[in-house]
Formats: sequence, structure tokens, C-alpha cells
Amino acid sequence: MSETMLEVKNLKAGYDTAKGCVRAVDGVSFTLGRGEFLGIAGESGCGKSTLAYAVMRLLRDNARIESGSVLFKGKDFATLPAAQVEAHRWTDMAMVFQSAMNALNPVLSIGAQLTDAVHAHRKVRKAEAEAMAVEMLKLVDINADRLKSYPHQLSGGMKQRVMIAMALILKPELLIMDEPTTALDVVVQRSIIEKIEDLRSRLGFSVIFITHDLSLLVEISDALAIMYAGRIVEYGPARALFSDPRHPYTKGLMNSFPSLSGPITRMGGIEGRAPDLLTPPPGCRFSPRCPYATDSCRSGDGPALRDLGDGRSCACTLEGGLR
Amino acid sequence: MSATALELTGVVKHFPLGSIAKFGKAVHAMDDVSFSLASGGSLALVGESGSGKTTTASVIARLYERDSGDLVVDGEAAKPFRNRAESLAYKKKVQLIFQDPFGSLNPTHTIRSILERPFLIHGLANGRADLDGRLHDILEQVGLSPAKEYLRRFPHELSGGQRQRVNIARTFAVEPSIVLADEPTSMLDVSIRMGIMNMMLDLKEKKGVSYLYITHDLAGARYMCGTIAVMYAGMIMEIGPTDAVIADALHPYVRLLKSASPSPEEGLSRARLQASGEIPSLIEPPSGCRFHPRCPFAEPRCKEAIPELRDLGAGRKVRCILP
Repeated sequence: MSETMLEVKNLKAGYDTAKGCVRAVDGVSFTLGRGEFLGIAGESGCGKSTLAYAVMRLLRDNARIESGSVLFKGKDFATLPAAQVEAHRWTDMAMVFQSAMNALNPVLSIGAQLTDAVHAHRKVRKAEAEAMAVEMLKLVDINADRLKSYPHQLSGGMKQRVMIAMALILKPELLIMDEPTTALDVVVQRSIIEKIEDLRSRLGFSVIFITHDLSLLVEISDALAIMYAGRIVEYGPARALFSDPRHPYTKGLMNSFPSLSGPITRMGGIEGRAPDLLTPPPGCRFSPRCPYATDSCRSGDGPALRDLGDGRSCACTLEGGLR
Repeated sequence: MSATALELTGVVKHFPLGSIAKFGKAVHAMDDVSFSLASGGSLALVGESGSGKTTTASVIARLYERDSGDLVVDGEAAKPFRNRAESLAYKKKVQLIFQDPFGSLNPTHTIRSILERPFLIHGLANGRADLDGRLHDILEQVGLSPAKEYLRRFPHELSGGQRQRVNIARTFAVEPSIVLADEPTSMLDVSIRMGIMNMMLDLKEKKGVSYLYITHDLAGARYMCGTIAVMYAGMIMEIGPTDAVIADALHPYVRLLKSASPSPEEGLSRARLQASGEIPSLIEPPSGCRFHPRCPFAEPRCKEAIPELRDLGAGRKVRCILP
């Protein structure tokens, strides 16, 4: 793997609620190489968005990072004072938010919003910021005369491309995308994905792509991390995870979407439902739904990620994971 | 029961626009929609958002009446309801499963009160004990047991998957012969989708109902249904046996849809059909073939007249003038 760009170590983050602390990210560690495309897959409520917001230090007021570190550009973003994080946010790491439909301000033109992002982080002249906005719009295949358009005049796919342009306008090294294509139709989704791939090869940034759509992720990611109930349960090269999943949850997920070719076989999915993070089950958090669980799985702190070789790791007590 | 459960011939549904400025204009939600559903068969209606899928289901369920065209259900032509008894009799035959399991259950009612309604409205139970028995049966059939436990709960106490099961139980309570399922799994987590789909397949087998299964997911359509109809901008573009249509799509739009669908087996390398743009406005739909502005193979004559849905034999029909 190439040089490490982002290293997240044993990150714990949670929300304070009236009923207690919901630890949505519970001891997550991973590394991301320069230019790498990491996919994080998980179901709703597994903590994948919290992880993204924690890395960006954009957590909501009732949420906090409890422990762990986020090493980026030689600094620990988990503990860095907010003012210093500000200096890196958007210039070095940027984010494409979920549902572009709501992420743009409806009463400001696209141009105003794009240049706003520039002015907030760089001291540049107005004309210069506008030139940057035009250049970025061109990169995402939107005509420069759209600068004066308002979000409601754009289609869903165009809005999402504006969001991508906004995230890339300061040429960050890391782009975090939180379900960027979920609300879009497949044809539009495909054009967005191709755009990201094209930009990545031209600009060379790294991507953390978060989604619940595993079939898409397997296709586009270099590495894949599967999250369940606040923890990464399996990590490795995307194709290897797809063809030979080791964690029972990964296996269940891979058996949860039918295919477009080959014989139609009855697929299983996974029984049960994801646990409530307010009171997570003891031991392995997947054990209540796991068909292979034994008594030892249901006690203690739950298995940690173990190295399986070939760049793969898996958090399961079964020897080498499932074989 | 006739061999054809449902037959639509040239059904049209336009929604007039309300404002004075747009007087005389309408949203062309359904134009010349024709297909038939064999008794005990299953047809997948696939298309992007705004293609008219849900309108088609609502017109069949007669939530609103079609503007023109014929609708024949179980060999009987649908005529305007003269009284409540006729309306009820129709709705007992044709039932809908809604997309949103969170919005389609009244949050202030218990599951018992929600599930009692179809029995009471259609007068299907003989007294309290019989009603109780039927409620238990129907809940067990959708995999919610012990039924007693679920009957006293409120919708917010159930997970998305469980709520969708309650929805399906309500649909099957009146023993319909045709079930219109409007994206029943699109709002559920990946791992529980298969459970719902499998349950629907089992129920179909057991009850001998016919399904109109609406989805935007080609692979899901292939898993669920023997026949597929692909809609675009209010019109059916291609109909045929699912395997044949997916393996060898004839209409350029269906080919585009297929090449855009995620397919981990094939990876990023496969050849893609290039097409730009998004679904057109249905207020002023394009002249001629509605797909021609995006079609990479469009010819001048495509703009002139709307192509017929040509019968190609072997159950396949396509609305394209190109060979």
C-alpha cells in the first residue's frame, strides 16, 4: 500500500441522550493510503455517518469523541483545538453530505455557495473565487452559466455534482462521502460514480465512501470496511470480501442482494434486527443474529479485529473467520 | 377465476396542473400503458422515480380513476363504482402494499386496531373469538410471533422490517387475488430485505395471488418476478420474460438501466452505455419517443411519432423503431 494518509486508532464517539450515552462508534481503527478508495458499508444506525462526522470533527453538540485518535497530516484531529481543525477542514479534507437535495441553501445561487466555500478558507479576490467555481463546475460537467441558478432549478443529479464540486474546490487530499448517491436513480448514480472516479484519477485525492449499498461498493472500492453496531467487523480488499467473506455478518450481507446474472437461487439475508446501541448485547454484537454463535461469543467484550493476512482482518472468534 | 388476473389496455392518466398560468397543461403520468398479468403470475414494473410506476399501481387499485383505456380485473371490466359495496368488493380483490413502512401505519393505533380494520370493514369475522383467531393467523403467517405480543404494541415499537410485515399482513387479511406491491423493500435495511422478499414469495405460493411488484432494482425484479415491464416517462418501453429482457435487452433505455445497475460480479470494467441527461419533464414530454433526447441511437424519425409497442413474439414487446 502507498503512504498512509489517515490513521484512525481505537476511535470512540457517542451521543449523550436522556437515556444515557449511545456509543455509535466503539473502538474503530483503520488506515487509508494516499489515493485509496475506502468503502465503509453498514446498515442504518451502525455508526458509519457518526464515524465520518467524527473524523471531520463535525459532530453535533450532544455528541463527543470519547477517546482514540485520528491522525491526519501529522496531527491528531481527535484532540486538536477546534480553531486548528478549522484550518484543515475543507482545505485538506472535505465532505459530500448525504442528500444533496437538502444540503444546498435554497435561497442562494450555486455560484454564491461555491465562492462562499472559497472565501471562508482562503483570502482571495472575488473574481479569483469565481474563476475557481467555474473551473470546478466544468470538472463536474455543469455549464458555467449555471452559477446564477438556484438549487431548485437543478435536477437531483446536478445538485449532487454541485456538492462534489464544492467539496473539491479547495483541492483537498481527502474526500469523505456520506451516502452521496442514495437518493438518486441508478442511471444518475452511475454517472456520479464515474465522475468521482474520473476526478480521482485526475486530482489524486483519497476517498472514504459511506453507503449501505454493498453491491455498489464492491464494484468501486479498493478496500472495504464492514461496520456493525459501532464496530468494524471485517476489513480487506473489496473483491476478496465479496468472493470470500469471513465474518458471518459480511457473509449474510453478501447473501442479501440478488444478482443480475447467473441462476436465481434462494437467498437468505439475515434474521433479526440490529441491536439498540443504548444497551448493546454482551460479547460479539452480532451474536444474537449469528447462526454460528456459541456461548463464548455471548460474553466478554467481543472479539477484536484480527489480522488474517493478505491485508484482511476480521473480528470473529471462529478460527480465521468463516472458511 | 379467469386465466388473466389483470389486463390494462391503453390506459392513460394525466394530472391537470392547478395554477392558472399552467391552465390546460397536465402531468402525463401514464400514457398508453398496456400489459397483462396472468392469474397466479408475477410482473415486475421497473423504472426510475417519476416514471409513472406508482401512478400505475394507484390506477389499478382505483385510488383514482384512469382518464381512458380499459382495465379488466379477473375478467371483469372496471366500471365506475355505483355504491360502497361495489367499491369494497373491488378493494377486497385488489390490495396495495405501500412503500413507506413508517408512514403507512397510524402511529396512534395499536397493531391490533390496525389489523382489525380490514376484517371489520369487509365483514370477514364472526364475532370476537373468530377475529382473534384470524389476527393470530395472519401475524404468524408474516413471521411475527408470538402474535399476542405484537397485537398490543404500537408501530413505533417495531423495527422497519416488522412494520413492513404488519403492512403485508394487513394486505393479505382480506385474501385478495391481486397484490400491488409498491417498492416494499426499498426503505428497509439491506440485511432484512431478503427476509421480506422471501416471505412475499412464500405467501404468493401459499395463497395463489398474483403480484404486480414495483421496483427500481433490476436484480430484485429478477429475483421476484417471471415477467418484467420497464417504464420510462409514463410509458412502457419493454415487456418480456425477466431473464430474456435482462440478458438481452432490446430497448436502449433498458440497456442503459442494465449497464448502470451495480453488479459486483462484473466489476467496473464492463462496457457501459453512454447516455446523458435525466428523465424528461412529464408536463411537456418530448415529441415522438420519450427517450430520444437521451438515446445514443436516436434518429430524426424518433422525434416524429411515438413508436408502437411492437410484438416480437415469445412474449416480448418493445417500444422502439430500431431493429
